[in-house]
Amino acid sequence: MRLALPGVAAALVLAGMAFAASSKRPVTFSAPERAAILAQGPWPAPQRPDPSNRYSGNADAIALGRRLFFDTRLSIEGRRSCATCHDPAKSFTDGKTRSFGRALLDRNAIALANLRLNRWFGWAGAADSLWAQSIHPIVDEKELGLTAEQVRERLASEPAFAAAYQHLFRSAVTDDDAERVLVNIAKALAAFQETIVTARTPFDDFRDAVERDDAQAMARYSRAAQRGLQIFVGKGNCSVCHFGPNFTSGEFEDAGVPHFAEKGRVDPGRYGGIAALLASPFNLLGPYNDDPAKAAGIPTRHVEQLHRNWGEFRVPSLRNVARTAPYMHNGSLATLKDVVRHYSELDEERLHGHTGARLIRPLRLTTQEAADLVAFLETLSANSGGK
Amino acid sequence: MALLAVTASAFAPLASACPTVEQGFRRLASPDAEVAYRWEPAELKIGQFFTAEVVTCGTREQEPVREITIDATMPAHGHGMNYRPTATRTAPGHYRFTGLMLHMPGTWRVTIDVHQGGKRTRLTHEVILRP
Repeated sequence: MRLALPGVAAALVLAGMAFAASSKRPVTFSAPERAAILAQGPWPAPQRPDPSNRYSGNADAIALGRRLFFDTRLSIEGRRSCATCHDPAKSFTDGKTRSFGRALLDRNAIALANLRLNRWFGWAGAADSLWAQSIHPIVDEKELGLTAEQVRERLASEPAFAAAYQHLFRSAVTDDDAERVLVNIAKALAAFQETIVTARTPFDDFRDAVERDDAQAMARYSRAAQRGLQIFVGKGNCSVCHFGPNFTSGEFEDAGVPHFAEKGRVDPGRYGGIAALLASPFNLLGPYNDDPAKAAGIPTRHVEQLHRNWGEFRVPSLRNVARTAPYMHNGSLATLKDVVRHYSELDEERLHGHTGARLIRPLRLTTQEAADLVAFLETLSANSGGK
Repeated sequence: MALLAVTASAFAPLASACPTVEQGFRRLASPDAEVAYRWEPAELKIGQFFTAEVVTCGTREQEPVREITIDATMPAHGHGMNYRPTATRTAPGHYRFTGLMLHMPGTWRVTIDVHQGGKRTRLTHEVILRP
């Protein structure tokens, strides 16, 4: 044993020297890699008002929506608000594995940001608009737990809310039927949430420097992050699902995360989401869509429920990702390191057999590659490192 | 993998003459069937809904088209679209499929199945989408 130790030590030293040398080597990107990097921006992305919500972008609606978002009267016991699970101090998440409303919920509180860029809302895409999604927690018995009638009563009993409602919606809250009131306040809540946009990040500065061919500015981005970016758009296949300025396809994938909500009960994921979407009176094919052209309803008109939707969840945006732990639909991965390890050592048996996504395969990253990928992901948050 | 069949029209009247490249159409042909097709918008983008206009024409044009279907799959990913297109016949031999959407970058295989003259013929076209 003693005789072997110096040999081992020498090997470790050599490995360390090799790592040090490779970590200092400039990263060069091929033309396809460069194109893929540019496609992850620019940021901020242009955002238009939501045509299905006539109050989208309306200053009064934003103000009312902001007040409602933080007001605990919008919950049955008067103790919770939207902000309980979507806390601005925690990047509009609650930092918990799975949220707890009036009971333990099945899923992690998804971060609220850049929502105008979404096609679907919630982990399962059960809503096709932000305002329809905003209705769900208000009336869900496990979350805020109100009925539409109780929402109307609470607004009517608070003079400031009643006045703001009448000013914005041009009718007294007591004159509108309860479902209309629910939709109206959801549209105000949506108008507020649309204003939550993440700031530029070190990655955005690097991406723009690549576009300008500005070597000096590119050099400010760490080598580790550059190597991680190279994995992200290359070997890792990450950008196949997390592409575009918002780092998401906006669609649904089975990422091999166990989907049992509890012993013996499966979270149906996208399969259940489509069923809920099509059954909802608030979807974009219904009477509450303000867009006369109904163009925003095209995805809902054509979406199809397939067997493979079991176990699929929405591909989340990676913007601000370092600030929105824990990860995956059930919050089962605590850190970005855990997420990278998950994809590196993916259990293919967890995927849905032959219907599973073939692009999702164990990455078998080296320790350095995994660290580099984490370093890159950390640069997708504002004021993060990477410089 | 689910095959999303979209029936445009059973027992449709005869096929018609092929539209031209100048009209924005491209052709897919086999010994048993031929179609001309174009997308709207003409340039396909990831995540953007588009319409396919398909015209049955060519060598078998005198035989009735009993059924025509369109689908798209991503072979590398092992599955297809998340959306079911809607088909309408706009004129004899002319079909319009709305609600197609390719949601990921990569190579997609668009298939047009023509059931004509007692045969079902598959015509395929590859679309490469880059982010």
